[in-house]
Amino acid sequence: MTNLVRAEWIKLRTVTMNWVLGIIAVAFPLVVTLLTAALAGGNDSDGLDTEGLISVLAGTTVVCALLCGVIAAASITSEFGFGTIRPTFAATPRRSMVVAAKGLVVVAATTVLGAVVMLAGWFIGGALATSQDSTIDLAEVPTGLPTMVGAVVLVALMSLAGYGLGLITRSTPVAVSVLIVWPLIAEGLIGQLLVLIFSSDTIASWMPFQAGIRLAVVDLFDDGPSRLASGVYFGAVALALVAVGGWMVNRRDA
Amino acid sequence: MITVENLTKRFGSKLAVDHLGFEVRPGTVTGFLGPNGSGKSTSLRCMLELDRPETGTTMFDGQPYHALRRPLHEVGALLDAGYVHPGRSGRNHLRWLAASNGIAKARVDQVLELVGLSSVGSARVRSYSLGMRQRLGLASVLLGDPRIVILDEPANGLDPEGIRWIRDVLTHLASEGRTVLVSSHQLSEMALMATDLVVIGQGRLIEQSTVADFVDRHAERWVRVQSPTIDALRAPLQAIGALIEDVDDTTLNVRGVGCPQVGEIAATHQLVLHELSPQTGSLEDAFLKATAAVQEYRSGGAQ
Repeated sequence: MTNLVRAEWIKLRTVTMNWVLGIIAVAFPLVVTLLTAALAGGNDSDGLDTEGLISVLAGTTVVCALLCGVIAAASITSEFGFGTIRPTFAATPRRSMVVAAKGLVVVAATTVLGAVVMLAGWFIGGALATSQDSTIDLAEVPTGLPTMVGAVVLVALMSLAGYGLGLITRSTPVAVSVLIVWPLIAEGLIGQLLVLIFSSDTIASWMPFQAGIRLAVVDLFDDGPSRLASGVYFGAVALALVAVGGWMVNRRDA
Repeated sequence: MITVENLTKRFGSKLAVDHLGFEVRPGTVTGFLGPNGSGKSTSLRCMLELDRPETGTTMFDGQPYHALRRPLHEVGALLDAGYVHPGRSGRNHLRWLAASNGIAKARVDQVLELVGLSSVGSARVRSYSLGMRQRLGLASVLLGDPRIVILDEPANGLDPEGIRWIRDVLTHLASEGRTVLVSSHQLSEMALMATDLVVIGQGRLIEQSTVADFVDRHAERWVRVQSPTIDALRAPLQAIGALIEDVDDTTLNVRGVGCPQVGEIAATHQLVLHELSPQTGSLEDAFLKATAAVQEYRSGGAQ
């Protein structure tokens, strides 16, 4: 397994697109957060408080999570696209080992990106906000730390879900389209439909990706699932996608 | 030794490989021949368990492929030189392959040197020519120093020097006692390189034999006669049932009789001969004759 993890790590870091997406995934939430922290303390503003900083940081991390999902999906779809899946399986006939090693590497790498965003955003954003006469104190917001940890977990689970979609679809355009369109558009529409059908406001928050995004929301003021329940549910969906994808990869021709 | 038994693979209603079985001996280069669409590449993928066959087994020195702990040390296979990420360098492509089987990093540079790609190892594969990709593919085959080598059309895109080089490499590997199976359409190359042949058509085994036996069995034979008085030979040869084909003013190709008969007739009629030689058709002729009934795709007639 160690050899496989090493091989998958070489693959992941030797493709330029992964670096480009990784840099954007880190830069976007950081730039937005830092600009907000730096500019919020203008003449007519009280500056960015702790909850505001965490909200902006965790909220923009959703974009980081989506991009990490794309990296994860492309890590497997590009193997099918360029045919490298064949030398991969020729070198390691036990396909489930390859699926596990690749998933482990890409989820670990993207989780590190999420953690970097969160730590850098918190410390640099906090310093900038403090310089604007704001008071930044994590103890002020009881849901602050769970939200920040949840945002990193969201990045990990979104990567897992993207990886699962990649395994199932084998196509980068299809996997990426589903990964972007489903959470941002389809779940919203289906959620509203379900609300109308079942006359329940909370049912929409059980849509898988919407549940996942709740990991990175500071105030869960509705009656939907708790942060932990949302995370477990989305994690189960992501794991199910990987399990189905892994099963299909095992059965189909490479 | 490679042992293939009862291999069958179907794509929808199309039977691509039909109960195929053959053996590949160590110490020889075995050519794997068949017309386009005959199932060669599918068979190779099934043998390596990349495609899932409906029936059949393939044993590599007595073991199925999935039982090999570090396959690159046992079986080196190049199915398509294009199976490389174009944005990755040749060296990095070999590095991940090496890492997956616990092969030392130093071996990557060794095989790059061996295939003549050291100077471009750091360049991205998208800048490689087809010939360079074939060389990179061969480097990946040699990475684990395997006892069995399987190549699908390895000479595609190679220049004459490259073709000669790959022939020398493969014959050298076979001379070391390794098992070498090569699929190719370049029959002239195969005639120079291979000792044994496996010929398939429409997914079925047509023949497994040595190249010499295959040519003996399927290729045409005739006698080439050259004489300054060639016309004087026509009537006596036709009298004993020979079929005559004019080559030029002094040369005939004669079918249906052997060199001794032609020589005796020439002696009887006191005719001078400048050439009297037995001729045999090429591997290409033999292949076309043997596979005539199983050609999947045929060219139209010349316009």
